[in-house]
Amino acid sequence: MTSESAATADAMNSVGEACTDMKREYDQCFNRWFAEKFLKGDCSGDPCTDLFKRYQQCVQKAIKEKEIPIEGLEFMGHGKEKPESSS
Amino acid sequence: MRVWSSEHVFGHPWDTVIKAAMRKYPNPMNPSVVGVDVLERSVDSRGRLHSHRLLSTEWGLPGLVRAILGTSRTLTYIREHSIVDPVGKKMELCSTNITLTNWVSVSERLVYTPHPEDPGRTVLTQEAVITVKGISLGSYLESLMANTISSNAKKMGKEILQIYLPNITKPLTQQ
Repeated sequence: MTSESAATADAMNSVGEACTDMKREYDQCFNRWFAEKFLKGDCSGDPCTDLFKRYQQCVQKAIKEKEIPIEGLEFMGHGKEKPESSS
Repeated sequence: MRVWSSEHVFGHPWDTVIKAAMRKYPNPMNPSVVGVDVLERSVDSRGRLHSHRLLSTEWGLPGLVRAILGTSRTLTYIREHSIVDPVGKKMELCSTNITLTNWVSVSERLVYTPHPEDPGRTVLTQEAVITVKGISLGSYLESLMANTISSNAKKMGKEILQIYLPNITKPLTQQ
């Protein structure tokens, strides 16, 4: 296994083919925030919200088109201070 | 119903393993995962990160199994909920299939915690519950799937993170 294959960790596809570029852009933003802020206890603003919104709109459309049975999720996107309970 | 579980220790601290675990797809050891999307992500009032993800997988079930199940579908969808507690140093992932549910239910749970005796190491415990519904060869198919999960988990839990871990310590701008 080469380092190249590991370096493409952010090169996963979206379930909606048209969403892949947006997904990868969001993933890079998230992974950076996760490693450099979240895990170090920095609760300051999340820089990925706008990227996530765009990406989500695309994914929601793909899920409907493919009739993937997602239930119980409100597509509230990216947020803080949500209640602990989840679907 | 079949229950399978295992435990593995990584020779890296929890933060490092978590960063690699969040990015473990794609990987050449488990090419069956062909799509991953984040459906929802938020931080709760306790500072824990919740993520809901949708994974699409090509199961790679043998033709005989697919014939028994009566389906030619090979693409399956899985829903995963993960919780990362950066203060308590615990990452928990729960996943279950949301298609093929008339025939089979596969639920997996993974928990990453620091090794109780050595903060430079991390413990991963995995368990899976597999239930094949309503057909007489259910027991056989459950074994087959448990073996697949076990084999994938052995690869995933060990070699995969070893592939990513050497890179994970590089600055992100170089990845």
